[in-house]
Amino acid sequence: MKNRKLLKTIQNKVLIYIPLMLFALLMMGPFLWLLSVSLMPGKNIFAFPPAIFPTFIDFKNYVDVWQYMDFLKYIWNTVIITFFGVVFSILLCSLTAYPLAIFKFKGKNIIFVALIATMIIPAAAGLVVNYLTINKLGLINTFTGVVLPGLVTVFNVFLFRQAFMGIPSDIRDSGKMDGASELRIWWQLMMPMIKPAIAVVALFEFMASWNSFLWPIIILNTDKYPLASALSTLNGQFSYNFGWIAAGTVISVLPIIIVFLLTQKYFMEGISGAIKG
Amino acid sequence: MKQKRVAKLSRFSEVQTAWLFMAPGLILLALFTFWPIIYSVPLAFTNYSVIGETKFVGFENFKRAFSDVNFIASVKNSLFYMIIVPFIQIISILMAILVNRKIAGIKFFRAAFYIPVVTSMVAVSIIWGWLMSSNGVLNYILLSIGIINEKISWLSDKDTALWAVMFITLWKGLGYYMMIYLAGLQAVPTDCIEAAKIDGASNFQVIRKITIPLLKPYVFFCTLISLMSAIRVFDEVFVLTSGGPGNATLTSSLYIYEQGFEVFEFGYSSALGLIISFIIMFFSIFIFLFNKKGGVNPY
Repeated sequence: MKNRKLLKTIQNKVLIYIPLMLFALLMMGPFLWLLSVSLMPGKNIFAFPPAIFPTFIDFKNYVDVWQYMDFLKYIWNTVIITFFGVVFSILLCSLTAYPLAIFKFKGKNIIFVALIATMIIPAAAGLVVNYLTINKLGLINTFTGVVLPGLVTVFNVFLFRQAFMGIPSDIRDSGKMDGASELRIWWQLMMPMIKPAIAVVALFEFMASWNSFLWPIIILNTDKYPLASALSTLNGQFSYNFGWIAAGTVISVLPIIIVFLLTQKYFMEGISGAIKG
Repeated sequence: MKQKRVAKLSRFSEVQTAWLFMAPGLILLALFTFWPIIYSVPLAFTNYSVIGETKFVGFENFKRAFSDVNFIASVKNSLFYMIIVPFIQIISILMAILVNRKIAGIKFFRAAFYIPVVTSMVAVSIIWGWLMSSNGVLNYILLSIGIINEKISWLSDKDTALWAVMFITLWKGLGYYMMIYLAGLQAVPTDCIEAAKIDGASNFQVIRKITIPLLKPYVFFCTLISLMSAIRVFDEVFVLTSGGPGNATLTSSLYIYEQGFEVFEFGYSSALGLIISFIIMFFSIFIFLFNKKGGVNPY
């Protein structure tokens, strides 16, 4: 009797872990293989049967591509773009969302509908006009020009609005009683209370800025490219040198995967919270 | 002292403060989100390009669009792309159900499923471009287990290219939708499920009769989001196939981009953008009508 029960739990475990592992293999497999390719210098990945596991481990590809590409420069570019993108979108989006959530004023609903309407624009349609605008502002080939168009997004404004709406109105009232200015109430009382929302926006913006490649290609010169853009040119130039491209790709995705793994807890909770709200 | 502060406070009325707070954000939104929409309307009626004089051409661009084989092909591809929407829902709900339990290592699996979401489309495209080449790993595996009989160049064969790109879009997005559904599953009250189990419901019945109905608002949200992104697909086709072979993977976003930044026909490109926007509008209204009592406020 006891044995049968044990058998049953083992059977249940197997039934859950097998599909979990299959999915994990499907999702992680390509990255593991990339890692494997990056550690095999001189291998042709298109030899058939293809090389899947490294027979020896060598970091030559990394050394070579690092020296050729000057990766430090691209990483620095990416860090600057990402830093300003994250910080300013948190500040500006939350400033925009705060009155929309808390205040009562005319025109609130009109703003709201107008914001939602922006979701219907095809990905590429805004690019041409935005290029012309950035050009007019004299921001071609500047990091400001890269960051500016994406700073305030409707999605982030809504996310912050939702978070602010969850704060009891007593808090703002008590701040007012103490004579704090609205700006101080926003910064010292409200912002600390919506930390989960800030974390979500920070992580999403981090992801978006770190991975952006098309807009930077349009408005920057090659020496100012962020990682993803540099990677796409590397891929174009050295399409035959798989080891290099693999190593370059690993270098470009590693930081974001590390940040993701370190902040995983907030990430997962934050996304759930943001959507539930 | 206190008197003074109050006086300072009342310098702006609530309405003024509201607009002051929103001003920087709204200016940026106006400049980079609304201006492109507004400006593309008059542009669509001109022949604006890098060369020549800009003239009003009436509906010329729109007439041209409807007889432009490439544009029609791109719209067809974009509409066809929507086939992945139901697959995204089914597979990611399945994944969410799988990871919605407290067992050893579950955090690892959740992270593993989410990693494609955080990596750049460029990196993902490079990897899958290799995996899917005719001498690539995918063919090797499929040949070894006998699913296919001969090598297929997934991305450069016009019969499979669109499917291959769609698969990559699906693969990259699954983790994102899984997280949304996981949030939904964790909001399902546990006593509801326990009560059903006491009454003798099987696991499958619980999923069908309780979990899925309660997930409905999440399905609505995910369907809408994935539909929008399927119509707006750009990065993966840009990096992987640039629309080829022929125009087998030419999506409407890519075609709008090409007309704008490769041919520099800004007027025509704007007209195409407008047409696509109307198509997207049609589908979103359709979904809203289809699911009138959406229930969940997605933001």
